[in-house]
Amino acid sequence: MVEIIIDWLQAALRWAAPLLIVSIGEVYAERSGVINMGIEGIMLFGALAGIAVGFYMKSLLMAVIITILIGALLGLIVAFLTVSRRTNQVVTGLMVNMACLGATDALFSLMSETRQSRVATFPALFPQSMHNIPVLGPLFFSQPVSTWVAFILPFIAGFILYKTRWGLNVRAVGDNPKAAATAGLSVIKIKYQTVVLSGIFAALGGCVLTLAEVGYFSAGGMAAGRGFIVMAACVVGGWDPIRTAFICLAFGAADAAQLRFQTANSVIPYQFLQMLPYIITIVALAIMVKRSIVPKTWGAAYDPKDV
Amino acid sequence: MNEKKNVKTLKIPFLGDLAVSFGRTVLGIVLGLITGGILIAFSGVNPFLAYGSLLRGAFGSMQALSNVLVRASPLLLGGVGVALGIKAGVWNIGMEGYMYLGAIGASIVGVMDLGLPPVVHIFLCFICAAIFSAAWGLIPGYLRAYKGVNEVTSTIMMSYIAIYLTNWVVSNVPFVAEVGSFYPMSKKFVSSALLPILMKGTSLHPGPFIAIVLCLVFHFILNYTPFGYRTKMLGANPHAARYAGVDSRKQIMIIIMIGAVIGGFSGAVESMGLKRRLFMEFVTGVGYESVAVALLAGGNPLGVIAAALFFAALKAGGATMSIETGVISSMNSIIIALCMLFVIGVGVVDGRRMKKIVDNSKDDEDDQEKAEASVAKEGK
Repeated sequence: MVEIIIDWLQAALRWAAPLLIVSIGEVYAERSGVINMGIEGIMLFGALAGIAVGFYMKSLLMAVIITILIGALLGLIVAFLTVSRRTNQVVTGLMVNMACLGATDALFSLMSETRQSRVATFPALFPQSMHNIPVLGPLFFSQPVSTWVAFILPFIAGFILYKTRWGLNVRAVGDNPKAAATAGLSVIKIKYQTVVLSGIFAALGGCVLTLAEVGYFSAGGMAAGRGFIVMAACVVGGWDPIRTAFICLAFGAADAAQLRFQTANSVIPYQFLQMLPYIITIVALAIMVKRSIVPKTWGAAYDPKDV
Repeated sequence: MNEKKNVKTLKIPFLGDLAVSFGRTVLGIVLGLITGGILIAFSGVNPFLAYGSLLRGAFGSMQALSNVLVRASPLLLGGVGVALGIKAGVWNIGMEGYMYLGAIGASIVGVMDLGLPPVVHIFLCFICAAIFSAAWGLIPGYLRAYKGVNEVTSTIMMSYIAIYLTNWVVSNVPFVAEVGSFYPMSKKFVSSALLPILMKGTSLHPGPFIAIVLCLVFHFILNYTPFGYRTKMLGANPHAARYAGVDSRKQIMIIIMIGAVIGGFSGAVESMGLKRRLFMEFVTGVGYESVAVALLAGGNPLGVIAAALFFAALKAGGATMSIETGVISSMNSIIIALCMLFVIGVGVVDGRRMKKIVDNSKDDEDDQEKAEASVAKEGK
């Protein structure tokens, strides 16, 4: 029994890692007032980039660097549309998702040789001997580098958001862009920065999803709504990096649980277990949404002339 | 920026605006098609040949035309469902989920041989589809209207849940699921529950025509009934609507549920007219495409007809294109998305009309407090 629980918790941490990474960028973007709904599609691109670069260049470092570049580029497109062209953020995100879904499927069909072979995944941070320590070994020391990074990042993100000038600027831009502009901040510039950041982290999250968890890319939207789950986590977590991280951890635990139950012979049909993360998301939204303090200009376009 | 100047120079009040917005839409589509052509060229196919075969595949023969109409059916219904939401200011984008539920409803009645005449049986299937999808729409509708849960996330989550529910129905539910099939699917629909084929040698069923009639009906409802007026008022200015005594919560819930029922019909039509069974994951990407259709139409049911037919032609032609020239089959969804990104990117002014996507009921209270405070200040 204890073994099962440890196994589940270990998987929960691993499955939460991509969600955590994606959520950090999204918290910043939404704090500055822009909902980047394209993260689902950007995750797909990151996932494909991770696998493809890892396969062709045999280098994890290059995979991460190229993933970051692709994420930044896609984030820039979303930022240009939502911030400069002031398009509707929901629509922009959905169409970016649609384009990314089609594009990754198309690119993946060109790279059919990556289909079967597993590429090198992120290595464990601690030496093999430490993996055998009871409880702590499997739970923490056997985790790949990506999981460690994912769990340290929210604290750094929280520090930057609340304790630095730039973080204050981001919050100001989201809550009162006019006042921020009057105080001499470039609202547009800060929004661009946060949205590009959300693109980068979304792509990295996708990269971690393939290179640390799944180990392969599959066509047809392998992110399976994780981008949208992260958006829900941001709402439930009140746009606070650390609280959002805990919510993501809960979703990761649900994901891990449904995978564990599927292999075990349970009474409940496995399709209902597969629904679990999505049902939990809706229930969490329904319970928690009233308590969240929404960034004041969440989802609204900012027009510099609109005074 | 240049376009902004153009808007100001065009002084004709009504026609000028119309021309500009229509021109922008066309410009966006053209830019999308050009970008798609560049992508096709990158994949090693001559884009002119590819688009030529796309046109042939969409309009080249009666077969092709009926194919376009068949593909238009889910886009028309999904598009009008989303468009109705847009008019009321809600993003009812879980069309895929509603389609699955409608198809489940239709298949539960449809696979049973009840000895009914076709008209009654088909009607019964639609009723069942409506009940199932309305129940599905009730959840995000209630959450949005009474709990303030943003419908964008909840409807998408509901779609994912619906996919797994369908998988369960077609593989585990005893009297619906086909036993020992190579792919999870339901039993074949009884012949009295199938929609008739209108043209020999094609798969043209009455679905697209039913859908076009529904679009016209909703055009009428939106423009000539009190219900439609309330809906549009809610979308244009929720504060004013509430002030005028519109029960905005009830209205939002009804709108989401109507969208769900239309989506359910769409799923029922697909399964009864085209697929003749309920398959696992038989709709893919229709959720996104419906949003694209509704958006290209600007939330206008009549516009939905044109937009859905355009995208259906793109999809049907795209299928021919990928068979004839070897362009990757997901290229048509890329082109649709690119077209829409350009259309919304080119039209800045239109973005303002639909910028409200958050439930601002909380902000309203803030605003009221502020207003009261300022009144109090002035009083002093």
